[in-house]
Amino acid sequence: MKKALVLLLVLVTTFAFAFAGGSTDGGSDSIDSMALILSGPANDQGWNAVAVAGLEATAEKFGLSTTIMENVSIADSEAAYRQLAAEGYDIIIGHGYQYGEPAAAVSHEFPNKYFIATESNSYSENAASYVMACEQGAYVMGLMAAGMSESGIVGVIGGFEQPSITKEIEAFKIAAKSINPDIQVLSIYINSFTDTNLGYEAAMTMINHGADVVYQVANQAGNGALIACAERGVYCMGNSYDQNSIAPEYVLTSTIYNMDQVMITAVSSILDGTFTGGVYNLGMDKKVVEIAPYHALEDVIPAQLKEKISDTIEDIIDGSLVVPVISSPTK
Amino acid sequence: MAELMDIIASFLASSLRQAAPLSLAALGVAYAEKAGILNIGEEGIMLSGAFFGFIAAYFSGSLFVGIISGALGGILISMIHAFMCIKVKANQTIVGLALNFFTLGLTSFLFLLVFGQNTKLPSVASLNPITLPVLSKIPVLGPVFFSQNILIYILYLAIIVFFVVFYKTEWGVRLTAVGENPRAADSAGLGVNATRYVSCIINGVFGGLGGAYITLAQLGYFQEDIVSGKGYIALVVVILGRHNPVFILLSAMLIGFAESLQFSLQTMGIPLPSQAFSMLPYLIAVIVLLLSAGKSSSPAFLGIPYERDKR
Repeated sequence: MKKALVLLLVLVTTFAFAFAGGSTDGGSDSIDSMALILSGPANDQGWNAVAVAGLEATAEKFGLSTTIMENVSIADSEAAYRQLAAEGYDIIIGHGYQYGEPAAAVSHEFPNKYFIATESNSYSENAASYVMACEQGAYVMGLMAAGMSESGIVGVIGGFEQPSITKEIEAFKIAAKSINPDIQVLSIYINSFTDTNLGYEAAMTMINHGADVVYQVANQAGNGALIACAERGVYCMGNSYDQNSIAPEYVLTSTIYNMDQVMITAVSSILDGTFTGGVYNLGMDKKVVEIAPYHALEDVIPAQLKEKISDTIEDIIDGSLVVPVISSPTK
Repeated sequence: MAELMDIIASFLASSLRQAAPLSLAALGVAYAEKAGILNIGEEGIMLSGAFFGFIAAYFSGSLFVGIISGALGGILISMIHAFMCIKVKANQTIVGLALNFFTLGLTSFLFLLVFGQNTKLPSVASLNPITLPVLSKIPVLGPVFFSQNILIYILYLAIIVFFVVFYKTEWGVRLTAVGENPRAADSAGLGVNATRYVSCIINGVFGGLGGAYITLAQLGYFQEDIVSGKGYIALVVVILGRHNPVFILLSAMLIGFAESLQFSLQTMGIPLPSQAFSMLPYLIAVIVLLLSAGKSSSPAFLGIPYERDKR
C-alpha cells in the first residue's frame, strides 16, 4: 500500500514538472519578459532590495513581466541563467560581479536572449556588463571620512575581496589621503555579504584600533557595522541606498546606487535595437551613483567639507576628475 | 602596561560577545546529545528563536516578551524535530537539515508578510547591560564579564546548572544512560523517550535564546538568514567542548577570539589575501580537535532512535 502511494506521488510530480515545462514557448521574437538573479534574499534592505526596486520600475516603464531568483550561489549561477533562458525570459540580469562570466558562457547557447551582469567585465555578442561607477561614491565617502575624523584613523569594511568591492575600498583610501596625507585607513574584508555579526565585529575591531569614522561596502553584512558604530558613538557611512534610518545620529551619508537607471538604460537599448555586447560604465553623470542627504547631521559636518564634497561631485560629473579604478587590493 | 590591559579587555569582550549565542545554543545541543538526540537542525532552531524573539519584542515593545518568545520559537522547531526523530524514527541528520531549510523559508516568508519589501529596517532597542555590584569592580575581567545583558547572565547560570546536573546528580546519570545504552536504561525502568522529549525541549529553549541573543541583545533587528551558519558552529563548539558546559563556553570564546584576532591582523596591513585571515577561526577549531583527539565524548547511541520491540 505504502509503495503504491509513493509511486503515485512520484508519477504526479513527474507529470506536474513535464506540463509546467511544456507550457512556456521560447520562440517569439518580441521582448516581453525579464528575470533577475540575486546573490542573497530579495528583501535584504540593501544591495538586492535596490535591484528589485529597479526591476519593478523598469518593468512598469516598458510593460514587461518579471521574475526573481534569490540566493543564487556562484556555483549555481550558470544553471540559473540557463534555466531562466529555457523558461523563455528574454532579458536575464545577474546582479553582481560574480554573474559576469556565467552570463557570457551561457549566452552562446541562447542567441535570441539577452544576458546582462552588473558590476562585471565579461561580455559576448548578446551579453553585456553594466558597471556602476561605485568608486565615485566611495571617493566622496573617503573625503567625508577623512574630513570628519579627529583621531586620524578611519576604517572601511568590504564584503568579499573581489574587483567590484576592492575598487570602492581603494578609491576610499585615495580620497582620504588627498584630504590628510598622514591618515591611517584600516581595511577589513569580512568575506561575507550576509553575516551581519562579522560586519559588527569588524567595525568593533576598527573602533578599538582608534578609527572614528567607518564606511561599509558589505551589503547586508555591513548593516552590522552601522549598528556597532552607533553603539560606540562613532560616525559611519552606508551603502546601496540611504541607510540613515538605521542609525539617524551616526550615519553621515550613504552611497546610493540607482539600479533602475542602469536597467532602464540596458532595456531601452535592447528594445530600440541598439544593443551590442560590451562593458558599459555608468556613473554620477547618469545619476546611477548618488550621495544621500545628510539629514539631521547637516550641522555636524563643517561647511568647508560640504563644499569640498559638492565641488568634487561636480568635477566627477563634468569629467575633470576621474576616479581611478583599482581592482586588486593594496596593503 | 595599562594599554596591554585595554587590549586584553577588548579581545575578551569581543570573544564573549561572539561566544554568547554559540554557547547558549551549544548548551542545549549538548543536553540533547547526552540523551542521544543528534540535532543538525540547530541552525533552524536559532533562526526561529531570532525571528520570533524579534517580532514579539517589536509588537509588544517588551524585550522580556521577546526573550520568552525566542525560547518558544526554538521549542517550536525542536519539537518538530523531536516528533520526527522519536515518534516517527526518521533519520535525524536528514530531519535536521530539512528543518534548517524549512525555517529559513518560513522566517523569510513571515518577515516579508509582516514588513513587506522595502529598504527601511524595522528595529527595536537592544538589551541594556546590567552592571553587577562588587563583581564588576574586579580589574580587567569585571567590566568585561559582569557588565553584560541579561542573556549573558542566563548563560552563566545555565553553565553552572548544566554542570551540576551532568556530573553531580542522579538525573545526569539517567541522561547519560539513555544516550549510552537506551535498552539498559529502559530495562532499569527509565523512560527513554520521555527523557529524550524533555532534552529536545531544553535544546529548543537554549537554541531559541541563542538566536534571540543575535536579534535582541546584539543587533536589534531581523534580516533573512540572520543566524548565517552559527547553528553549525554551535555543533562544532559542542564537540570541541566535549559536552562539558565549562569547556563549551571556553571553546566558543576561542572561536570568537580567533575571529577578532583575524580582524585585528587585517587592519595591520599584512600583505596576505583576506581569505587567509578569514580561515583562522576554522583553522584553530581543526587544530584544537586534532590536539584533543582520543575517545569521542559523544554517547554511543547518538542519533539512533530507540525501538523497544527490536534489537
